[in-house]
Amino acid sequence: MIKNSRQGPLIRAEAVSRVYPLSGNRSVIGIHRIDLRIDPGELVVIKGESGSGKSTLLSLLGGLDSPSEGRLFVAGRKLHRARPEELTQFRRTAVGMVFQSFNLLPTLTVLENVALPSLLAGNPPGQTRTRAEELLDWLSMTPRLDHMPGQLSGGEMQRTAIARALINDPEIILADEPTGNLDSRNAAAVVALLADLNRRWQRTVVIATHSDLADPHATLQVRLLDGAIVSGGS
Amino acid sequence: MRLFFRLFICFNLRHAVRHRWRVLIVVAGIALGAAVFTSVRLAIHASVQSFASSMNRIAGAADAVLTKPGGLVPETLMAPILRHPALSSAAPVSTAYVTSRFRPDEPFLLVGVDPVMETAFRPWGVEAPSSSRGLWLQLMAEPRAMIAADKLADLLGAGTGEDVELIHLNRHAPFRIAGIMKGGGTSLIDGGRVAVTDISSFQEFTGRLGGIDRIDLRLRSGSDPTALAAILPPGVQIDKPTAARDSGLQMLQAYRLNLSILSFVSLFVGMFLVYSLVALHGASRRRELAILRSLGGSKRLLFFLFLAEGAFFGLAGWLAAFPVGTMMVQYLLEGINETISTLFVRVHVDRLALDPWEIVLSFAVTMAVSLLGALLPAREAMKVAPKEVLSVETPLRQRKKTAHLAFGGVAAVFFALFIARISGSVPGYAAAFLLFAGLSLLSPWILDRMGAALPSGLSRIGGEPARLAARYLRDSGIRAAVSVAALTTAVALFCALAVMVHSFRHTVEAWVHQSVSGDLFLRPKMAEFNRYRDPIPPKTLKTLQKLNAPVDFLPYHRIFLDYGGVPYQFDTIDFQAFSKYGSFLWVAGDPASVYPALERGEGVLVSEVFANRTGLGPGDRYRAQIRARVLDRPILGVVRDYRTRGGVVFYSFAHFAKQFDATAVNGMRIFFQDRGPELEPAVEELRGRILKISEGALEVTAGRQLRWIILEIFDQTFAVTFVLLVISLIVAGLGIASTLAVLVLERRRQFNTILAVGASPGQVRSVIFWEGLLMTLAGEATGILGGFLLSYLLIFVINRQSFGWTFLYRVDWTSLAVSLPLILAAALLTSLPAVRLVLSEPPAMLLRER
Amino acid sequence: MKMKDNPRITSVSAGLIAALAFLLVCTAVGGAEEAGFQKVTGPCALAFPEDHGAHRGFRTEWWYYTGNVHSDAGEPFGFQLTFFRTALRPGTAEEGDALRSAWKSSQLFIAHAAVTDVNRKIHLSAETAAREALELAGVRAGNETVTVYTRAWKACIGPQDHRLAVESERFSLNLSLTPQKPPVLHGNGGYSRKGSSPERASCYYSFSRLAAGGKIRVGDRTWNVAGTAWMDHEFSTAPLEPGLAGWDWFSLQLSDRTELMVFFLRKADGEIHAASAGTFVDPSGETIGLTRRQLAVEVLDRWKSPDSNAVYPVRWRLSTSGPDLALRIRARIDNQEMDTRQTTGVVYWEGSVTAEGTASGRPVSGTGYVEMTGYGQPFDAPM
Repeated sequence: MIKNSRQGPLIRAEAVSRVYPLSGNRSVIGIHRIDLRIDPGELVVIKGESGSGKSTLLSLLGGLDSPSEGRLFVAGRKLHRARPEELTQFRRTAVGMVFQSFNLLPTLTVLENVALPSLLAGNPPGQTRTRAEELLDWLSMTPRLDHMPGQLSGGEMQRTAIARALINDPEIILADEPTGNLDSRNAAAVVALLADLNRRWQRTVVIATHSDLADPHATLQVRLLDGAIVSGGS
Repeated sequence: MRLFFRLFICFNLRHAVRHRWRVLIVVAGIALGAAVFTSVRLAIHASVQSFASSMNRIAGAADAVLTKPGGLVPETLMAPILRHPALSSAAPVSTAYVTSRFRPDEPFLLVGVDPVMETAFRPWGVEAPSSSRGLWLQLMAEPRAMIAADKLADLLGAGTGEDVELIHLNRHAPFRIAGIMKGGGTSLIDGGRVAVTDISSFQEFTGRLGGIDRIDLRLRSGSDPTALAAILPPGVQIDKPTAARDSGLQMLQAYRLNLSILSFVSLFVGMFLVYSLVALHGASRRRELAILRSLGGSKRLLFFLFLAEGAFFGLAGWLAAFPVGTMMVQYLLEGINETISTLFVRVHVDRLALDPWEIVLSFAVTMAVSLLGALLPAREAMKVAPKEVLSVETPLRQRKKTAHLAFGGVAAVFFALFIARISGSVPGYAAAFLLFAGLSLLSPWILDRMGAALPSGLSRIGGEPARLAARYLRDSGIRAAVSVAALTTAVALFCALAVMVHSFRHTVEAWVHQSVSGDLFLRPKMAEFNRYRDPIPPKTLKTLQKLNAPVDFLPYHRIFLDYGGVPYQFDTIDFQAFSKYGSFLWVAGDPASVYPALERGEGVLVSEVFANRTGLGPGDRYRAQIRARVLDRPILGVVRDYRTRGGVVFYSFAHFAKQFDATAVNGMRIFFQDRGPELEPAVEELRGRILKISEGALEVTAGRQLRWIILEIFDQTFAVTFVLLVISLIVAGLGIASTLAVLVLERRRQFNTILAVGASPGQVRSVIFWEGLLMTLAGEATGILGGFLLSYLLIFVINRQSFGWTFLYRVDWTSLAVSLPLILAAALLTSLPAVRLVLSEPPAMLLRER
Repeated sequence: MKMKDNPRITSVSAGLIAALAFLLVCTAVGGAEEAGFQKVTGPCALAFPEDHGAHRGFRTEWWYYTGNVHSDAGEPFGFQLTFFRTALRPGTAEEGDALRSAWKSSQLFIAHAAVTDVNRKIHLSAETAAREALELAGVRAGNETVTVYTRAWKACIGPQDHRLAVESERFSLNLSLTPQKPPVLHGNGGYSRKGSSPERASCYYSFSRLAAGGKIRVGDRTWNVAGTAWMDHEFSTAPLEPGLAGWDWFSLQLSDRTELMVFFLRKADGEIHAASAGTFVDPSGETIGLTRRQLAVEVLDRWKSPDSNAVYPVRWRLSTSGPDLALRIRARIDNQEMDTRQTTGVVYWEGSVTAEGTASGRPVSGTGYVEMTGYGQPFDAPM
């Protein structure tokens, strides 16, 4: 269902920086003058130690934050100097995010968690429900539709999170340490899933991680150190 | 819209259900507040309405009323009045409270009228006109026939055709019930405890011959009532028909306002409860908020979700208030009825009419209060950045400029003191409100200063934990400041009221013991009800004076008058005899020079209430028409007096009797010359003797009893106030508890880190305790300061404007010294939940996040 | 017994008071309480001017004036003024008790007045009432003058004339009535039977012709008027005999200086009671009593009241024998109904009439007043 008909890169960052101001005229640099180019259909692995800026970069790509400098284009949208409402809209439709700590809402059922982004985007509830059930079925979560996150295992939670990331049919999947809280078996399964999404469903997948599990599937590897790209990128 | 509700249910409500105990406490708090607010208002409204409509019914269709202050309108005026071209109708009315042998403790109003003239003025609620005509004539045809309201007939246990023995002073006479009136209207006067009889029967029964209480008038259209003045004898004046009602309502005004405001306080603290809980939710679910944002939820969505939470608590609380309020209102109604009847005017409400506007108002206020409470937390929730999904650390908040707020606060305080000087009752409350606002605005700055200046000193006392606590408080932003402000308010209220009540009681006690001195107090039965209209029967008076007892008599004559709309009592006493056993509490004027002049009848003494209400003071002239003559004398001094039914003017008994040809006495105090240990039994013995002599015409009260009753009444009136205060303190405490919990939750990572690097659980607990302690100290200190300021406002401004009186300023240091540490200790207890919270997760949890 | 003039309502209170009066006339208050009151059982022995005053021992009494006058321009008016006294209980003043209220009184006075402006077809009425105490109402007997008053209204009966004064919001009367003939004693020396038994009687006399002059005000306009008037004074204790639906009462003043008073007591079945009677006064003041057999009346026309739906006769043929009179009588305005149903439950008709016909064959004309009761509903004052 994805059109790879876009000309040009799906993600393009030009000298993008993110600086955090502190009190007293001091600041902390998240990332510094990053140039990055990711084409549609790629599976990108971003590596780096803690504090290297992985999360900052990912948050910028996901529209969770705005660059302090530079130009950032994701899925045809201009994310630098974008208004908060535009970012909100972007988050609903253009990307799906998967997190290390799953980040499911504890008071919503599995089905409701998955349906949420679609409902937020304004889609009709009936249609949303159908699609959510489909996705969860595909991920073998059907027996757990009405369960609360507290009742799920780590692997089940991550599968739910992935279903949630997919519900709005985004072009890009962003994953922040997706296997960080999983045992080896589940970790492998998640990586396989992400690879599948990339190859068979032609999503562009960007994974920020310490682990090497995804390396075999990566079409691009980017390494970050102290907020700058040391290898990969463009 | 549907999405919003779905999300509200899934996100907010389910969470609320999971933490249902917290929610229930808040809802209960709001329910209590709303119940108190609504039921107090309903009860007061009902009492005031009952009084006003009773008075309106008595006034009927009259356009004007003729009265003779201090006396009776001569009945010979009736014929010339009726012939005057300016009038279309006139009717005589006389009233008295009487009792019956069957129910001697239940006084009711007996009204004497002329049935023929009445029809133009009052529809005496007899249902079918055809059956009533013969009935009305019967009142004239048959002496001592009366028509009783159905409620009264039930009370007396008698029906149509039956006799009831009525009692007025020492007169007993059988009255026959010729008919019953019902169906509303005048049959509801005085709560239905009313009966009508012919004016001739009334006069003969009460002994008030020769005159009538008042003549009601109806004017020909287009005619001017002042045209009547020419035929009115001296002393008779024309009044608005609502004069009596208006002066009664005025007396109730201040009481109403006070109770309303006090009841609002209880609702106001509910706001604070909502704030605490919603803030707690916002803080503890920060992560989830970030998730929502990251999934595409807008800022507005988050804002309204939390606002809706507040609204939900408000609604739930308001609904829960119904059962509570229903029970409360009955109880309150009784209490308020009694208080008003005892202190001000007779009211009688049996049944409460549910005014839809009051319900709407209570709903609106409750919702407003809840929404206001949720506003700040909702705004905070709105600010959660989506990128927080990827990190645990709360971004460093910019420290606000607290100095600006503090400046505003100080300005508000000064402004408050300035406003207080304006007259009227509202400025006093406005000033109090501004005072609270000002003190609250100071909290952020105080916490700021504490964080900056104290730490070095604190570390010497409490070690590192204390220093950390101070620093944390400084950085905690608005949340801690709000809790401190709430505690400030509660403590200030507490202190102020404690001081005020103590001052009040101290002053009233002094007054009671010095000015209300006397061993026995005599007055005609039901004098208070009948406004001292009837004198002590001359026969009884003579017998009293021939009593063989070692006592001094202090007779007085009391007349209820009106000075330009200000009701007051004109008391004539023997100043010399009075000064032997008692004294006044002077506010203005030198007793040494004033007393002799008073004794010579050269001037009058006025009460503080009279002076404040009329604006007259020493040096001004007091000029009043009393009966047929005018009394014009300079005001020589102002004294304290705590009667609730208006001001007082004192004049020499002898001089009044001579000038006004009025030797009647309607009250007397008796003093025993020998004040040894045998005093009490002697008083009792004399009391019994006098009761026997008077044959039921007199009420005789022992002085000690009377003074005790007066103080009792004052104590009871303040009981309600203190309950409300305790509630506000509890709520403020809850607020601090939840604030501390919130602060802990937000810094969980830091606390865990501290634990991980070697701090003991005890030390971490200590940080929390110090935070609680510092917050409480800040709140109490500011609160005490504010409390003293507020007490000045209460005593010298609000009381003065509302009731006309002030008190001697007295602080009960002992009770303050005891209660303030107690408050501190209680507040410290509130840090316990936060302490539990901080140690609830093992530090290892830290490491899961990157 | 003649019905009290009950006026049209001008105010609820007025009506209520009228009702009181009305009921009192017709019913015994609280039962047939005639006990204690003086009764008329035989000759009245009337003497004047004393008997112009009040007879407080009897239960009911009235002084009743009607008249037909005209302004300088010839505009015709009718007027009526009645003072009515009721004793609320028998017995007069009580023991001289020091504790006696000045309001204590056993006599109630009710006064009623009405004016008919014939040309403009206006009929106005007013009412007032008070007890006899504190100079609110009563009868003052002076040297030669008897003043009957209720509040501000009064009738001063002096040796020369009767002076009437009525002041109300919508109209006033200020008239001086000079008797043209001596008082007429009805029945037997004033003892006038009103029912089957001797006790059902009253003492009743009239001034059958008075020359009237003075002022009438209606609204803002005042007229000087002159004409003739009639005065009745009657007192008794007995109530109306049961079985009577009502009565028709006529007083006429004819152009040949004779007067006629006739009353018909109507029974429930429509028949006229045998006690119905009349009096004829000749120009010199001599009277002839007329019995039932000498009287005949025929209704020529009726009028239905739009307010009460009662149907009243408004044209009659009235004839008497010995003296022989044949008169056609016509109401000057149809609607002179007094509807006091709202307050008293009573509806009746009282108004100015004209007469035309023959007296012993010679043509005569005249004016007068007619009162009719019991047409709205059977006159059913509770018995």
